[in-house]
Amino acid sequence: MIFDIVHKTHYRYRSMVVQSLHLVHVTPRTLPGQIVRHHSLTVEPAPVSRQDGIDAFGNIGIILDIESQHKELVLTARSTVEKLSAPPVNLLATTPWDRLDDKLLDPNRQRDVHVLMFRCASRLTLPTLEIADYAAPSFTLGRPVLDAAMDFVMRMYNDFTFDPHATDVSTPLSQVFRTKRGVCQDFAHAALACLRSLRIPARYISGYLHTRPPPGRPKLQGADASHAWISVWTPEYGWVDLDPTNGIVVRDEHVTVAYGRDYDDVSPISGVLRGGGEHSVSVGVDVNMVAGAPADALSGR
Amino acid sequence: MTTAAATKEQPLSDLLSAYRRKEIAGFDELLDASGSVRAPWQRLLEGLAELPEAERQSRSDRLSSRVRETGIAYDIFADPHTTQQRWTLDLLPIVISASEWQGLERALIQRARLFDALLNDVYGEQKLLRDGLLPAELIFSDAAYLAPANGVLPNAGGLMFYAADIARGEDGEWHVIDNHTETLAGIGFALANRVVHTHVAGDLFRDCNARRLAPYFQELQATLTLHSGRENARIALMTPGPHHEDYFSHAYLARYLGYLLIEGHDLKTRNEQVYLKTLEGLKEIDLLVRCIDGKSSDPLELDSAGFIGPSGLLRVCRRSPRIVVNAIGTALAQNRGLGPYLPQLARHVLGEDLELKDAPRRWLGDPEARHEIFSQSDKFIIRKAQEGTGRPGQAARGWEARGLSAPEREKLKREIELYGATLVAEEKVGFSSAPILGRDALVPKPFAVRLFVCRTASGYQVMPGGLAMSIDPEHSVALSAPDGRTRDVWVLSESELAPHISLWRPTLATARIERSQRVIQSRVADDLFWLGRYSERADWTMRVLRGALRRIEEDSVPDTGRRAARKCLEVLLGKDMGIASESRETPPDAEIERLCERLIANGLGSRTLERTLDGLYRVAHLVRDRLSLEAWQTLTKFRPGERWREALNSAQPLEVLDVLDEGLASIAAFNGFMHENMTRNFGWAFLDMGRRIERAQNLSEAILTLFIPSPDPEETSSSLLLLLELADSFITYRSRYRLDPMLPLVLDLLLLDEANPRSLAYQLSAIARHLESLPDTHQGSGLPEDRRLILALLTSLRMVDIEAMSKEESGATLERLLKDQLEMLPELSNEITRHYFNVMDEAPHRAHTRVETSL
Repeated sequence: MIFDIVHKTHYRYRSMVVQSLHLVHVTPRTLPGQIVRHHSLTVEPAPVSRQDGIDAFGNIGIILDIESQHKELVLTARSTVEKLSAPPVNLLATTPWDRLDDKLLDPNRQRDVHVLMFRCASRLTLPTLEIADYAAPSFTLGRPVLDAAMDFVMRMYNDFTFDPHATDVSTPLSQVFRTKRGVCQDFAHAALACLRSLRIPARYISGYLHTRPPPGRPKLQGADASHAWISVWTPEYGWVDLDPTNGIVVRDEHVTVAYGRDYDDVSPISGVLRGGGEHSVSVGVDVNMVAGAPADALSGR
Repeated sequence: MTTAAATKEQPLSDLLSAYRRKEIAGFDELLDASGSVRAPWQRLLEGLAELPEAERQSRSDRLSSRVRETGIAYDIFADPHTTQQRWTLDLLPIVISASEWQGLERALIQRARLFDALLNDVYGEQKLLRDGLLPAELIFSDAAYLAPANGVLPNAGGLMFYAADIARGEDGEWHVIDNHTETLAGIGFALANRVVHTHVAGDLFRDCNARRLAPYFQELQATLTLHSGRENARIALMTPGPHHEDYFSHAYLARYLGYLLIEGHDLKTRNEQVYLKTLEGLKEIDLLVRCIDGKSSDPLELDSAGFIGPSGLLRVCRRSPRIVVNAIGTALAQNRGLGPYLPQLARHVLGEDLELKDAPRRWLGDPEARHEIFSQSDKFIIRKAQEGTGRPGQAARGWEARGLSAPEREKLKREIELYGATLVAEEKVGFSSAPILGRDALVPKPFAVRLFVCRTASGYQVMPGGLAMSIDPEHSVALSAPDGRTRDVWVLSESELAPHISLWRPTLATARIERSQRVIQSRVADDLFWLGRYSERADWTMRVLRGALRRIEEDSVPDTGRRAARKCLEVLLGKDMGIASESRETPPDAEIERLCERLIANGLGSRTLERTLDGLYRVAHLVRDRLSLEAWQTLTKFRPGERWREALNSAQPLEVLDVLDEGLASIAAFNGFMHENMTRNFGWAFLDMGRRIERAQNLSEAILTLFIPSPDPEETSSSLLLLLELADSFITYRSRYRLDPMLPLVLDLLLLDEANPRSLAYQLSAIARHLESLPDTHQGSGLPEDRRLILALLTSLRMVDIEAMSKEESGATLERLLKDQLEMLPELSNEITRHYFNVMDEAPHRAHTRVETSL
């Protein structure tokens, strides 16, 4: 399948921004099963400088220096991405979650630093005893890691309610667990905190989700969204993506932009600015399928 | 006290009598097992014993007053009555023999090399992690591991500054109890201690043949210049600011080395350069000596919560990796959990055995270690692996299982399971003791020492000295000073010592660095401006108080004099006082006293002496690195809680006169030091403008108060006398006119006479000259607003015909003149602030997008 993606972010400031510096992660990366055919980013007003870099996780991060005074900032990222169907996964044919050390810390082999890194709690995925308690029922001794993880993800899917008004970027994880409400970013962090409290390697994925309109209705422009989900490591399949917001194993309608330990590593756009006062931001994402037909439909949440 | 304090002469044995009797549990630095003085301490002890007891005490007292004057303290804004312990420095240093030092030196250099290799690997190839020599989860669980800094550190020239806290266990072996790889770790405290200590015990220091610190700092300075890659490098020390506990250390060091002391918001980054925002625009910085946490170094990439460092610094480091030392990310190596892995790393990486052991520790990310401590939990103290503090003196306390109930233990156990990767378990090592000067004899006290290492052109070097602290072995496994007591560290030399060099007097080679002091950050200009205003305001307020109190004290003063004084007090206390007491009744002395008291401390107005002095001390502290030592010392008197301040508040009204005289003398001395010692750069211009604006305002206000509406002749003459006194122009008047004060003559002297440094005209033309000298950053046509205002002020004054004005019954012209001045002067002050200080209306902030799927 091939997707055309337009991701437009529009900031409006109450007063003049004198200067601003932004770190942007909106460039999808090429990965197994994902090929980036085309990408462009336009910024208005134009930055005096733009630095493209590859971070420690292999993501593409762009730093923009804007020195012209402005009250509005518009970033438009256009990408064409080809997704290959992910090979089927047998949840039960994975190593028991409590035996991962045997593979990860095998004294006869070099350690995989890029997996071990994602066993560790990060700033936004710090567990508490209550969070660890929530995870426990899914992880019985000897249960295959992916089977347990999927069971856990389904429990989250059933227990948590999507509610964009319940949280903001600074809501602590403990509150998300108490209210069981939030957005995909919160659910991803919640799932990561649980998995990592059991030392299961898991990472945060930022990207896009292709959604379909209800039967017989036209697809609404801007109805798609930037999305966040998680990925769990198994010795058998490597990284397998799970979507706690939708309660599914990710197939081919999720386009990965970047991954990291949590939102901090891959925030689509973050900026430090002088001036500007209060601001409002509107984000519009369109994911249009230009080729290929998937087997089943997902609804975006 | 049962010591030999009564005896006049105290030979060595008496000095030690109390010491011998103390129970010394473990190893003692001073006495060996048989109770005789160890050889390295012999000289020092003899020297001390030769001093009469009174002399020892007086030296000890001088030491504390020096410490106070120098201002060595953690938190300058803390209320001295309520918060932390003051810094104290003992007369007795810790003595380390030359041979012992050789071993320590070698061991510390080895550690610096090891940490350097470790950091280069973790931020580079990560081979040590892949080979399992370092547990990956130990590294990646540490918030000090900064993934965005990957690849930068190995190109930055490695670890430049390292410090180790060491203590001698009861077994007589030195152990490392903490490592500091983030910043210079309070080296300024050690330096200040030495400078202060030498003032008091320089003779003992020389007799002992102890090593000096100056050569080390010279080497450090040369190293930094070399590292910057430019001979004329502009080097700056980046501090979190005066609210940080180590600010003193940063300011002191910057001053000593002749570097700029800057904060994150003084800087602006572009692609591969860091710029300092100055009055003259952006200036390139060649090297930043980082005294802020790596994590806080860049709000864009590293710190999503704070705004301490300059945004975009890390991307500058990617292009110019050597621009920041220590490189961003080095804090990782101070993780306490590394301890158990260092011996095998040393063998693997350096091919050497680790020479100095760490205090016994287990990293609790290791399941075996967890198992071990669960089985014998009473033996251990649980602490965070990374405390992220280089600050001496205040180690955080750990958790102990001892004394916990069964459910509490169970909870602790679960927490250790959950957070183990960020925790360590420590065993107490015990501490050796060394003498401090007690009330009248030596007393053994446990201690730990911080030693400093720096990478130079010829490899790592250890500073031959250090910072020693008393510790409470009951609670501490880390360097901490519960009693705030510190000690100097003397490293004995076996060879002849090099001649004394001090960086305070720069040699030709270092003199060029001084020029960089000409660069003035906008922020510093702002602070200097307020320093000028506050010092003048304090001076004026004290003169008003003195004038009023003198009029009560002296019987011969006519009642009109008291009324004039009362008017001046009231105007300072604020308009809401109900000044309109038009009655000719003499205010009772008690009323004046009450007003004075309110003006000193109790008034609600913003201009009480107390508030002014607090402000003065605060801004002076902000620009300490710009003040000469003497200038600073004259101001320490005004620190809240100082003896003088206490006296001001508690003295009887008439005793206050003496206190005020003393205060005025200090302000005069301060002004004198500044006038004589401060380079006439832009900083001076702002300091002086602040003073001039304040003086012009106070003078205008006083004249307006005293002469509008026109008083009767008797009161006029009293008011003139008071005015001349306030304006310190009495002598000038008398020597010029030899007459009783007359209104036109006094007004001429105080308003128009540009030769009189107390006149309004003098203040205004001085401000005009300063404004002329400043770089013109004004954009657009026409005069900048500040110049327009000063021109208007000067013109309105120069147009005045004094004789005609004095003849006017109503005083309308005088009133209009003064009111114009009083209206425009604050505008001028605001305009200068707007024009030069680049003060943003708001702090930097963030704009995020949140990832949320819309329905």
